[in-house]
Amino acid sequence: MNPLLLVIMVVFAVAAILAVVRIVIGPSILDRAVAADVLLTEVMCVLGADMAINHHTRTLPVLIVVAAVGVFGSISVARYVARRDNTPS
Amino acid sequence: MNVFEWRIPDAVVDTAVWVLVLIGALLCLTAAIGLLRLRDVPNRLHAATKPQVLGLLLICLAIALSQRSVIGIVLGLLLVAPVVLMQFATAPLSAHMVGRQAYRNGTIDERSLVVDELADSKRTPPAAG
Repeated sequence: MNPLLLVIMVVFAVAAILAVVRIVIGPSILDRAVAADVLLTEVMCVLGADMAINHHTRTLPVLIVVAAVGVFGSISVARYVARRDNTPS
Repeated sequence: MNVFEWRIPDAVVDTAVWVLVLIGALLCLTAAIGLLRLRDVPNRLHAATKPQVLGLLLICLAIALSQRSVIGIVLGLLLVAPVVLMQFATAPLSAHMVGRQAYRNGTIDERSLVVDELADSKRTPPAAG
């Protein structure tokens, strides 16, 4: 295996784990929404990296759909979150 | 002599694709580290929205470049342009919504604000969006 590929995989994995850690420890729901958005963008980056490295464009429709609808998650969470959620600040 | 039939040497394309993907991955890592290290919701938004969009842009450039021929690169750029444009359009939108809700929610560190220009209008009606 190309060592550069290994480095890229490790970097993506560490980034995803850090985003998941932020989703788990919160503390407020807005933090979780932001972290979920980061995780989604990272999924898009991984799909794109796979296409670029393996020279195919089969997952490009997935990329376009995720880019189009991924924003609704954090927008709807921000829109409907309670005015003051019960978390110690 | 047709420009669209030119082929870029494979070694050049491969190196460029690897470098672009590596920089994109490092920018994703930067966003995740910022998400974990920074203090409150607006700070985390700052880390979350900026480096990652640049990383996605670089990775989309790598997708287009990996098509190798000039016509393939032009087609690839046309195909990845909607992804990048949608990301550019929607990242500030969601960041704005989350940041505004964080301000109203009180999940920001008020001592870190230098000027609080919204302090007067803090009592917005609940249906104001």
